[in-house]
Amino acid sequence: MTQESARQRNRDRSQADAGLQTRANTIVKASDHATPLELSSLTIRYGGGKSGAEPVSVVENFDLTLHAGEMHCVAGRSGSGKTSILTVGAGLTLPTSGRVFWEGDSLESMDDDEIADRRRALIGYVDQGGALIDGMSALENVLLPAVPEGEVEQRRSMAKDLLDLVGLGRRMRHRPEQLSGGERQRVAIARALILGTRVLVVDEPTASLDRASANKIIGILKDTSNDGIAVLVASHDHELVRQSDTLTELI
Amino acid sequence: MNALQRFVRSRVLLLTAAILIVTMGLSVLVQGQSQASLDRTVDENSRGLYDILVQAKAGSGALLQPEIANGTGGISFDQLNGIRDLAGTSIAAPISLVSRVTQNLEVPRLDAMDYLGYNPALAGSATADQPDGVAPTDWPAAESVLTEEPKKYRVTASAVSSDGANEQTMFKSSSEGTLGKSRLVEEKSNGGTSVQIEKAAGETGIKFPSPAGGSEHTLFNLSIALPMAPEVTESVVAVDPVAERALLGDAGEFLAPLEKAPPADARNAGAVGRHFESLFTQGITTKELEEGPDFLGVKLKYWAPLMSQYQQAKVSGELTEDSQAIPLIVRSGTSLDLRYDVKIEEIDDAGKVVRDVGTASRSLGSDYLPFVSKSPFALSWPGSTDHSELLGNAGNFNQGLYTPATWSNDFASAPQYTDMGTAANGAVEKSATPRDWVTVNRLPEKSQDGSPVDQTQRAPVDERSYRDSVAEGDKVAAPLAMVYGTFDPAAVQAAAGDVNRLPLGGYDPTPMTMVKNAAGDTVEASTLKPSLSATGLASQSAGAITDYYGLAAARGFEANTEVIDAVRVRAKAEGSWKQAQPDVETLADEIRDMGLEATVVAGSAREDVSIFVPGYSKDAAGKESPLGTVSQSWVRQDAAGAVSGSLTGTNTTLLFLTLIGAALLTGASTVSYVRKRRREAGTLRAMGWTQGRIRTWVLEEFAIGAAGLAAAGVVLSLLSWSLTTVIVSVSVLVLYAGAAFIAAQQLRHREVVDQEPQHDERLITVDSPLTFANRQLSTNRFNTVALAIAVGVFGAAVGGLIALLIDIPRAAGASALGGLAAASIALPSIILAVAGVAVGLILTLVTGRFELQAKRQYLGILQAMGWNPDMLRQVRFFENALVGAFALPIGVLGALGIGLLLAPYAALWAGIAGLIAVIIWIPVATKVVQ
Repeated sequence: MTQESARQRNRDRSQADAGLQTRANTIVKASDHATPLELSSLTIRYGGGKSGAEPVSVVENFDLTLHAGEMHCVAGRSGSGKTSILTVGAGLTLPTSGRVFWEGDSLESMDDDEIADRRRALIGYVDQGGALIDGMSALENVLLPAVPEGEVEQRRSMAKDLLDLVGLGRRMRHRPEQLSGGERQRVAIARALILGTRVLVVDEPTASLDRASANKIIGILKDTSNDGIAVLVASHDHELVRQSDTLTELI
Repeated sequence: MNALQRFVRSRVLLLTAAILIVTMGLSVLVQGQSQASLDRTVDENSRGLYDILVQAKAGSGALLQPEIANGTGGISFDQLNGIRDLAGTSIAAPISLVSRVTQNLEVPRLDAMDYLGYNPALAGSATADQPDGVAPTDWPAAESVLTEEPKKYRVTASAVSSDGANEQTMFKSSSEGTLGKSRLVEEKSNGGTSVQIEKAAGETGIKFPSPAGGSEHTLFNLSIALPMAPEVTESVVAVDPVAERALLGDAGEFLAPLEKAPPADARNAGAVGRHFESLFTQGITTKELEEGPDFLGVKLKYWAPLMSQYQQAKVSGELTEDSQAIPLIVRSGTSLDLRYDVKIEEIDDAGKVVRDVGTASRSLGSDYLPFVSKSPFALSWPGSTDHSELLGNAGNFNQGLYTPATWSNDFASAPQYTDMGTAANGAVEKSATPRDWVTVNRLPEKSQDGSPVDQTQRAPVDERSYRDSVAEGDKVAAPLAMVYGTFDPAAVQAAAGDVNRLPLGGYDPTPMTMVKNAAGDTVEASTLKPSLSATGLASQSAGAITDYYGLAAARGFEANTEVIDAVRVRAKAEGSWKQAQPDVETLADEIRDMGLEATVVAGSAREDVSIFVPGYSKDAAGKESPLGTVSQSWVRQDAAGAVSGSLTGTNTTLLFLTLIGAALLTGASTVSYVRKRRREAGTLRAMGWTQGRIRTWVLEEFAIGAAGLAAAGVVLSLLSWSLTTVIVSVSVLVLYAGAAFIAAQQLRHREVVDQEPQHDERLITVDSPLTFANRQLSTNRFNTVALAIAVGVFGAAVGGLIALLIDIPRAAGASALGGLAAASIALPSIILAVAGVAVGLILTLVTGRFELQAKRQYLGILQAMGWNPDMLRQVRFFENALVGAFALPIGVLGALGIGLLLAPYAALWAGIAGLIAVIIWIPVATKVVQ
């Protein structure tokens, strides 16, 4: 059982890198909707059912309204439900109860195909460790979201710009196993932004990274939110918590 | 954690060891069971009623013709006794073809009811003498199918014979004339008043050409004599009743009366005839007549034919002091198809048909008895009632009122068999060319009253003859048939058994089945009936069986001549074929030492031979037409050895293939093990473990599995006590040990860092599920190849199973024993083949799991970035389709290879099965990965 308490703090959004912002404006767009992601009375439990295991409730009655341009951090100890909130928010898993709204539309009324289509247009998801697909270069990994749209070639230059944006302009032909953890994380962020996403959901982006690499990631996320994109990030990195606009701390 | 715990934790090793033990146990068990089942089936069905066939001159080749009684003789009674005197002989039963006998059937007639009612002058005395006749007051009123005023009729008689496939009209003859109701006329004469039956005024009657006697009115009928029916010939064989009865067991009971037949010097036909005449003189009751008068302890139910022939022969002068009565057991019923039809039409003066009165028909049927039935072709005018029974039953005396049969030893020649080829399953194809033409379907030369028969009324039909002419013996006095009983050929056939149906002689028919018509098209299999337009192949059982005194009488032998065609010898050795084989072969050698041909037929089996019959019938211009192809049961020598050897070979091949599957499975699981343990090994290296220590660490785990395999091998070897089991166990153990060393070798080495610096731009751009799947497979080449091989092996195994299913009947050969043996090992072999398929399937699962985790991960990533379920399904499908494309040649070529190894003629089907199996695997695997 966890008890949730939320403390939201406004943070200064002045740390954006001007050059980065200028270039980012050309390839990302802010949400037209004021609250692109909203979580209402979210409860997530694991176990029980046929497994016979005692159910464990990791999230109880969690509410979150994420505004465009807001960088919200979900912090908490390991196992407190940070990743669960992110995957539910990204529509990858279903909550035990509660509702998820994307730009005001409830996911309950959508089928799997519709969720996939909406996710592609709305959500960019970066999971813990920045999982990339082996055998494909950084550039190809970034272009993967464009495959369903049939826009691989059209978005190729944009992908290169994004890799430049995250500081990997010279590593775009390298494969995942030839990149460091921080570089993989940055490629994953670039991949999440390739379709002009309005909400960036990032899970533990700085975990197992050195401070310098972590700061680079934090800077990218901050710049992204400054561009009007809502950023939902799960982390217990103090620097990231400090730099986020709002914070939910899970106990 | 000790080695055992690590072994258990490493599921792939545990699974591999378990699968290998199960495979080993299953293959050994199935092998043992199928071999035992095969041996049992072959052994139980390889010993028939007799073990050795002795002939003076045997044909060459492994196939024995069914006709062993052929009239050629060659074995003397001294030699027969010599065989009987051998220590190993239990029964020696001789058999010979005696003669071909032409039946003199009574002239066919058509009876039209023209009943005149009771008249004391015509019927009174008759009813007084017949105690079971109807009293005068109970006779019905007169009735007739004819009219007061004579009408003109056309009567057309024809005889048709059919073998079931071809119908042949033997003759067709018409006659016209007027017929009317008869009347009673009283005439006064000096002696008083006489009553006579007179034809209607103006009636011309109907008269067919001679020897038919025309139409005649009686108290009950207008009887029209019809053209004579074609002659029916029957063959007679001679056996030793005692030995034959012993040979046939219960089925030989019909021979019991023949054992009581008098010796040769007590068979004088005149003396026997006079004996029966005296019975009538002394008085005999009706009941005694019906049961048959007693003759030396045998009630001769069919005494009348003997008496009538005796009286006829006496009148015609054929009866001499040398005439012998020949005791016969005659066949019950006939399968000879001969139908006599009479079509009756009412016509006007111009010959135009006014009314179709109808057609009367009679066929030789199951109630026809050779040498007994007297008038099988007494036909009745449509609408007629037979009132002649009002006079009472005239008793059996009316039976057999015909002239003595004509005995001839002009046996026709046997067909010439030519080898045509051998089918894939070993079935033999032959061509049967009849040799000499003889005219057997002919009219008798003389009628019953001795007048010559007009041979021009119908053209004789050429017919193939079926026996060689035997020039032995002198012209002998006409023998008289003395019927002692009947036999059922079907019962004899049943006694011989279905699988090992050995030729018992001329009374054991070997039916022919039509399988292809003259054009070579396959037809629905139908057994050919014997017909008067025969093929030259004997298919009708002998009409009668006599003893060797009968043979001597028919051929006029007095001395010990070599008249025995064949001797069927049963050895004293008891038990199965395997047990009796040494003794049987010793006995055969002893018989050969006597200068005779001895063929060991124990261990043989019935085998259907396809026989093409080119010359079957002739048209009016003399052009021959083929019959087509018939199938007939011959006997395959040493079928037991051939069947057993062939099927054992198939099983061994199957075992070998299963071992190959086990080797592949071990290889795949070892690779899986190495991949799983690589990181662990790296950690141990980092902890300072030496390469030798890591190798020991790996080998310890494998040693646990090897110990299990060795224990299972020892237990199985001890249980089965067979070298095959030991070889299988050792092979599996060697495979496992090899895998262990390879795994240890792989894990003790450091991984080589991939030096390829950057992405290869020549790769196809990933812009669709198909190109994504292609990239994944090319990235993980090892997994792709491993999985493709596994799927290919699965396809090949399925092909092998199909090849086996098709192959078992082929390997077993064409004999009936082969069919039984194949059935007995089919299930165990199929279990083994299915186990091979299961191994192939497990192989695909093991190799498929290599990258399952990675696959799940990247599918999750794609889902997270918005690839919808349909696209993810496409990725899975294309991955499997591409693997399937690589697996297809492996599966198809592997299946073809196994097919060629197991069953060359089924290889194509095996290849197709492999192809289908791989294609089916694609959607199934797509579903499983989901």
